[in-house]
Amino acid sequence: MKKNKVLSMIALVLVSALALAGCAQENPSEQGDNFDLGKDITVVARDAASGTRGAFHEIMKIIVKENDTEVDKLVVGALEFDGTDKVITAVEGDKYGIGYISLGSVSDRIKAVSVNGTEPTVENVRDGSYSVSRPFLLVTKGTESELVKDFLKFTESTQGQAITDEMKFIGAVDSSEEYTASGMSGTIKVAGSTSVAPLMEKLQEAYKELNPDVVFETQAQGSSQGIKAAIDGSYDIGMSSRELKEEEASELNRHVLAIDGIAVIVNNENPKSDLASEDITNIYIGEITKWNEVK
Amino acid sequence: MQTRHSNINEIIMQAIFFLSALISVIAVLAICLFLFMRGIPAISEIGFMDFIFNEKWAPTNTPASYGILSMIVGSVYVTAGAIVIGVPIGLMCAIFLAEFCPDNVYKVVKPAVNLLAGIPSIIYGFFGMEAIVPLVRENFRGNGYSILSSAIILGIMILPTIISISESSIRAVPENYAEGSYGLGATKEETVFKVIVPAAKSGVLTSIILGIGRAVGETMAVVMVAGNSVMPLDQIGILKPIRTLTTNIVTEMSYASGLHESALISTGVVLFVFIIMLNTSLSLIKSKAQRN
Repeated sequence: MKKNKVLSMIALVLVSALALAGCAQENPSEQGDNFDLGKDITVVARDAASGTRGAFHEIMKIIVKENDTEVDKLVVGALEFDGTDKVITAVEGDKYGIGYISLGSVSDRIKAVSVNGTEPTVENVRDGSYSVSRPFLLVTKGTESELVKDFLKFTESTQGQAITDEMKFIGAVDSSEEYTASGMSGTIKVAGSTSVAPLMEKLQEAYKELNPDVVFETQAQGSSQGIKAAIDGSYDIGMSSRELKEEEASELNRHVLAIDGIAVIVNNENPKSDLASEDITNIYIGEITKWNEVK
Repeated sequence: MQTRHSNINEIIMQAIFFLSALISVIAVLAICLFLFMRGIPAISEIGFMDFIFNEKWAPTNTPASYGILSMIVGSVYVTAGAIVIGVPIGLMCAIFLAEFCPDNVYKVVKPAVNLLAGIPSIIYGFFGMEAIVPLVRENFRGNGYSILSSAIILGIMILPTIISISESSIRAVPENYAEGSYGLGATKEETVFKVIVPAAKSGVLTSIILGIGRAVGETMAVVMVAGNSVMPLDQIGILKPIRTLTTNIVTEMSYASGLHESALISTGVVLFVFIIMLNTSLSLIKSKAQRN
């Protein structure tokens, strides 16, 4: 019995020692607000299938195209997360982190830096001076049917733009025209980007409230699929979250539904608030590995 | 009449019980069928060697590359780490609970262990991302998202499995083993470590294998602490990020399409084969223990 008591005393001492050690180790990290520029940058990216990643890596030339090949040069060891929230948490928790997220998701948990001296704001994205943005496109082929025309008119009306704003995307057109129900009927088939689909769904719901006889068939399997479907005519409208390639653009009518800015984010303690786009590219392809190498 | 009536009742109830038993079998078969029907064509399209023994995973490149060797190795490393951390602690805890623990301590420790088993894995993930990752970052090199962080989290997660199964198998060792040992003049410690624990060997092994199964299949917690980078084999390190089979599926499944999606399902097939191998070794151990 005495032995048991001794053993439990030892256990108790061990546990409390562990707890104390834990506290002791955490304290310096909270106090250490001096930013060590010599530390390695923690590069945070999205998963390979993400549309945000596709757009960002293409704009920043992290994806290198040569003839028929296309290679993503993302540095080995970059963290990859499957959601905006995890990217934010990772950059928030790591003083030396850098990541990218949709502009609508920026909060004070992290710091969105200027790119080439331009702040990532809704106004700068709208007038095109902030370069890291991607259009949400609706594409059609040839002469549009009256019904499709009517729906496109709705997306560009004040009601349509209100929905776009509500979804935290940036409206592309500045129209003050109000849409009035046309009472049309028929089916509109829509296919394409998964990033555009949520906005599209909201627009369709609102449109159907005004024109209850219209039916939508929507398939979201990625931008390329939507563009292909619009070109071969199997769908009326294609959704794309990337810019059209030349050969695609020549065959299609292009309507900009909205613009989505991509913000480059760093930790709040990071002294940098402006990065050159070539530095960002170099960080992401591993040419720059420390913050003091950034101009 | 009376007997016939009860016969019908019996038959009906038997059928109901049989059906309940059948449902789990059907579920396993359905999952197998789904996995292999969706996964095998993709493996043959990519090529078995190019899929299993290729370390390059680049589904969005043109031409694309679908090699999962880095993730197989990653899963093995992370699981091995979890075993190194979890098994000694779990086993010692089980021995303590079964043999040395005073009643009033047992009343606290045992419910705590059970509670540990009930915590959802996403909570472990949050804890890992907010506590373990910074801890590893502050005390070692690197950014904290690493094999080490994953192993620590998984090591904690497999504790309840190891503790409860080992404890009950130690308790199941017949009393006369201990009495015989005491009779020969052995002390309590000698009896526990040289007689009782060896006698409970198969139960302890079972607990370790179930722990491995849990660690290999764990997804939500690992995805938040491992960093999910596909590392070339020569750059894998204990403080470097890693991608496992499970996290590969969960990070990319939401947007994948075409061959990329099928390749992710094929990753599931490989994982499934891993689990089948573990379960086979488990039943081998059990049958061997029964023969003894």
